[in-house]
Amino acid sequence: MKSLKNLFRMLLVPSMLFFVGCGCCDEAVEPEIAPAPAPAPVAVAQLDDVFYAFDSSVLDMASQNQLKENAQWMMDNPEAAVIVEGHCDERGTNEYNIALGERRADSAKSYLVNLGVDASRMQTVSYGEERPFDPGHDEAAWAKNRRAHFVVQ
Amino acid sequence: MNVTFFIRLQTLVILFCFFFMNAVTICAEPVGQYIKIAKEGETKIPLVLKTLDYQKEKDGKYARDLDGIMESGLDFTGMFSLLNAPLNVFSGGDRYVVGERQVNFPALSSVGAELYAGGVMERRGSTINMAMEVYDVLTGKLMLKKLYSGKRDDLRSIGHRFCADLMELITGKPSVFDSRLAFVSLNGGKKEIFLSEFDGYGAKQVTSTGGMALTPSLSPDSGLLAYLTYSGGLPDLQIKDLATQKTVSVMKKGVKIDPSWRNGTLECATTFSFEGDQEIYMVDRNGSVGRRLTRSRGIDVSPSFSPDGRKMAFVSSRHGSPQVFIKDLSSGRESRLTFSGKYNTQPAWSPVDDKIAFTSMQKNGEINIFTINADGSGLRQLTYRARQNEAPGWSPDGSMIVFSSTRDGSRKLFMMNANGRNQRSLKLPGEQMQPSWSSLR
Repeated sequence: MKSLKNLFRMLLVPSMLFFVGCGCCDEAVEPEIAPAPAPAPVAVAQLDDVFYAFDSSVLDMASQNQLKENAQWMMDNPEAAVIVEGHCDERGTNEYNIALGERRADSAKSYLVNLGVDASRMQTVSYGEERPFDPGHDEAAWAKNRRAHFVVQ
Repeated sequence: MNVTFFIRLQTLVILFCFFFMNAVTICAEPVGQYIKIAKEGETKIPLVLKTLDYQKEKDGKYARDLDGIMESGLDFTGMFSLLNAPLNVFSGGDRYVVGERQVNFPALSSVGAELYAGGVMERRGSTINMAMEVYDVLTGKLMLKKLYSGKRDDLRSIGHRFCADLMELITGKPSVFDSRLAFVSLNGGKKEIFLSEFDGYGAKQVTSTGGMALTPSLSPDSGLLAYLTYSGGLPDLQIKDLATQKTVSVMKKGVKIDPSWRNGTLECATTFSFEGDQEIYMVDRNGSVGRRLTRSRGIDVSPSFSPDGRKMAFVSSRHGSPQVFIKDLSSGRESRLTFSGKYNTQPAWSPVDDKIAFTSMQKNGEINIFTINADGSGLRQLTYRARQNEAPGWSPDGSMIVFSSTRDGSRKLFMMNANGRNQRSLKLPGEQMQPSWSSLR
């Protein structure tokens, strides 16, 4: 399932307009039209990523607003369980970033719990800087990689 | 003569100072040893390593191979400047009998040599015998005379045993030649851990995790390897017995990060978060989690122990940005070590003294390696203008530092002397990172 999704994610980036509502949600991926059915079996796009400042796990207003939408989706889909992945940009050192990624995932999860989502429906995992969404080496890429990402199981 | 010099002490105790002017290492040695006093930043030891002599023409290829192995081995240590031998290096005696041939010290002095090493090799069947001699050129004193034997398909080991003895003679400590490296190799997007000899030679893959093996740490005797991987999508600390290949998993909830072995024990420290915050705990070789070592709010990560195992350097974000702290494990006292810079991580405590290497991320995006004394004095930058230089690890004798660098584009393992000199790539194929250096003893 995970490998399928990773493959799918790779396909998605260059051709984001063709696949709508896939689970690989990032802010960069918000297509308006849906010319093709989504091939992924997971229900998604309702759970978008939230983003962080460098060396921070603090949720800013935009992230809080996104998490409110995510919480609503979790309420509307009470059977869904999600993995909250914490990610970092490539800057800094790998070991510290694994810890930072976990704090990001935890901050997102805690916020959802405070909005009423059952904690047992969410599991966190940190990948540090090991799995960047954008392989670039500039702030535009880094900003996309400092995120909590939601995977519906 | 420049500022380096030999002294001969016939007293009971000999002071040994090596590399660090502001943190002199002192150890006692038996009477009659020769000790090099080299102040930091000074020149290398001028050495004539004469090519091996041999009587049978067909032994020449073995002699030349051994010459190359010893030359590159000694060059690797960064301690010598290798000089060409004068033509009249012997002034009499039997050229093919080590100890009987007369070494021409004035001729060696005239080319600037302070040390002379040479030998005679012969082959008997598949066995190679290499008799070596080392003299102090200034006094004419014989420092080492020893026979090295081995199979002809293992010349590397024969040559390096001599290099190891020479280094131990000069530094008074076990050399790098008996040590091993563990590191992460990145190949096709997959990270697995490899083990190699001290210089990257003979690298072999030791994990098969499906491409996500991180932060290897070799126990001081190189018998155990601790590392992070992901099992079933979740972080897993694994401890592998390298002799039996038996592996134990620590599947506590949450992260496991950057294990580090405590000297003098079979325990490592690593970061867990099963109690909520990222804190450092002890783990024994069987994977049982022992006592918790840190209790601060925020990230505590990357432990590294003092040579006696009584103190631990680590990274904490308790004051906001990551900084290096030191904890005294008996008193429990914690103090901040780094104050310069906003992002200081990856502390590595020297296995022989109170020097700690760490990395600092700077405003221009570079990551550079520094050393600092455990009391906060003597901050020194070792890498400059060379992109990302990370994950410093000390050689078992404390004379060298291995690290990863992106200075040539892709991430590669590099070595340097402990004072930052002599930085060079190990030139391994592919990309490597997160080296851990340990002794075989």
